[in-house]
Amino acid sequence: MASSDSRPAGTRAAASRPRGPGLEFAVGAFLLLSLASLLVLAVASTNGKFGFSRDSYDLKARFTNLGQLRPMAPVKIGGVTIGQVSGITLDPVKFDSIVTLAIDNRYREIPIDTSAGILTGGLLGESYVGLQPGGDVEVLKPGEELVYTQPAVDLIQMVGKYMFGGGAGGDAAAGGGAADSGSAPPAGDAPAAGDEAATATVPSASPAAADAPASATPDSPSPTEPTP
Amino acid sequence: MEAIRSLGRAGLFSLSVLRASTPTADFFTELLREIYKIGARSLPIIAVGGAFVGLSLTLLGFRALETYGASNQVSVLIGLGLYRELAPVLTALLFVGRAGSSIAAELGLMRATDQITALGLMGIDPVAKAVAPRFWAAVLTVPLLTAIFVSFALTASWFEGVQVLGIENGTFWQVLRDSVDFRDDFLPAFLKSAVFGGTAALVASYVGYHAEPTIEGTSIATTRAVVNASLLVLMFNFILSAMLFR
Amino acid sequence: MPAASPTSPATAVQLEGVRLERGGRAILSDIDLVVPRGSITAVLGPSGSGKSTLLAALTGELLPAAGTVEVLGAPLPHRRRDLLELRKSIGVLLQGNGLLTDLTTAENVGLPLRTHTKLPKPVIAQLVAMKLHAVGLRAAGDLYPRELSGGMARRVALARALALDPPLMIYDEPLTGLDPIASGVIMSLIARLNASLGMTSIIVTHHVHETLPIADRAVVIANGRIVFSGTPAELDATTDPLVLQFLRGEPDGPIAFDAVARQEAA
Repeated sequence: MASSDSRPAGTRAAASRPRGPGLEFAVGAFLLLSLASLLVLAVASTNGKFGFSRDSYDLKARFTNLGQLRPMAPVKIGGVTIGQVSGITLDPVKFDSIVTLAIDNRYREIPIDTSAGILTGGLLGESYVGLQPGGDVEVLKPGEELVYTQPAVDLIQMVGKYMFGGGAGGDAAAGGGAADSGSAPPAGDAPAAGDEAATATVPSASPAAADAPASATPDSPSPTEPTP
Repeated sequence: MEAIRSLGRAGLFSLSVLRASTPTADFFTELLREIYKIGARSLPIIAVGGAFVGLSLTLLGFRALETYGASNQVSVLIGLGLYRELAPVLTALLFVGRAGSSIAAELGLMRATDQITALGLMGIDPVAKAVAPRFWAAVLTVPLLTAIFVSFALTASWFEGVQVLGIENGTFWQVLRDSVDFRDDFLPAFLKSAVFGGTAALVASYVGYHAEPTIEGTSIATTRAVVNASLLVLMFNFILSAMLFR
Repeated sequence: MPAASPTSPATAVQLEGVRLERGGRAILSDIDLVVPRGSITAVLGPSGSGKSTLLAALTGELLPAAGTVEVLGAPLPHRRRDLLELRKSIGVLLQGNGLLTDLTTAENVGLPLRTHTKLPKPVIAQLVAMKLHAVGLRAAGDLYPRELSGGMARRVALARALALDPPLMIYDEPLTGLDPIASGVIMSLIARLNASLGMTSIIVTHHVHETLPIADRAVVIANGRIVFSGTPAELDATTDPLVLQFLRGEPDGPIAFDAVARQEAA
């Protein structure tokens, strides 16, 4: 390490680092700035679900076709999120899916004739469970199952129906959506689909058909929710 | 064979750093100093980097989504892209380049000027005094820097999207908010950042601490630190993403 | 030279039959060395002869492959805690100074005091001022190492090595990179402090002519062995061709000018 007795080169650089109180201020300012931005980001750029599932109770619903529904998908009534999907399992006997809905404890008065449908929010949106409240006085208790459900609509099926089936109407279209094979001639699968869908969807045909995706006007086959 | 041994040595070194971390008053003084050196002084590059990433991501995303008529949904891309991948990884890589290299260089210099030997002879554990504060400073500051990165990126994105490209302001923020989940997207980003920061600091410290006590040795150490730390960050990014975003 | 007293041994350092190895290669072998208390011993030899390795053995950094090392009357301890205690009694001045770049001069000198004693801050400040004054740098307390010249930095490192008043001082190449005046300052400081503080000093160096005037004993290391051990006067009168070549600085002789092709084991 050779050096002479004259001033070494290191003096000019790096002497700008603050010391003592200056250092503390700089560090404090940095920490404050970054923590503040962290907070702002958390509030302004996220969906604000800071810890949902603790104060919720479970309801179940069976669907014959889930479509794109995933766990953590929201559960909404009229567009307002009231819970999320906390679990999806397949019934090994009946081969339909059992979806567990974690509903926020604030909403304990859901009538037992409420229907559940799997909807999508916009063309590229995620699937979610939309609940249409019924009018019964009795309410669903934790752990109970919703009776009326509507499966997800297969978009391609829908298009096929309208194009080849010449506007077959609400029921057939609703029934056709239950089958999850590729597009097939409507006559071919309407009776077959109607059989399995009948048990689940016939009672709800009237209220469901009114607002289900299938009821969309014939020239707009995209299964968007009626009230965004 | 030799590679496995040096991996083992690096692992043992990392363990010794953790063991040597004791919360004394001296430690906190050093910690504060290191937070300034590697955190506060990295602010400019992180902020500028974030801004440019936000601008280009918004522009490209907008154009890409135009073909689907969904260009006003571009904030989904921004939000998820930033939080899940870009912000933690890019911040970490920028950090490796700026702070990782300086950590390696400083420790290499300490080795070359006999500071590390002197500490040992004075009965002070050099790892506790020189390495541990840098490690914890990195673990603390990289998540914070990531937050800064995202802030600047989102601001730039908002500017590009709303002011320049004409996306409606409310749509921009609403779509963004709806698509970024606090627990599934926001929090993992900062967990990743902390892991990346710790990794970068350990790699840079190990390489600098064990550098040859010559000028050339320090320079080699600095380069090795940046290369190895960058690779490890990318590797851990994949592993963490696979674990967090199943 | 202070005589042996009931509580302190006559020799500060005693090596018997020591062999030191690094990486499997024997650097030094058959080392027998006695350093009397209160003396200044110069360890001389060409570069790469193993002088620094010898120092490493004295501080406990390097355990001998063979032989015994006794420091301050007791064999080298193996346990970390005891080794730590021993190191508090040995002051070491390293070639690179080893001053911490983020601390001021005063903070550097006070570091051993803050770490190993529970003295209150004002007392430590006083001690630091004393040590700096002893090396003539009382006014440099607030400077940072990068602001010091080579000679000043060396003196600060010396002040720090003296911080705990160690009975044994080891100097590793103290004159490296210093101009003649700074060299003279360091050498006179070593001599004065050794006498006034009653220490024992071991100076490892190849600056023969600056060191011999203050040394009480001289040891020459070459080819992995001690080739001379005695007083400086005896050294001047030696007829050993190897030692003579080293003392006179002759380019050719027992240590050949033409480098031999080396078969490196490491």
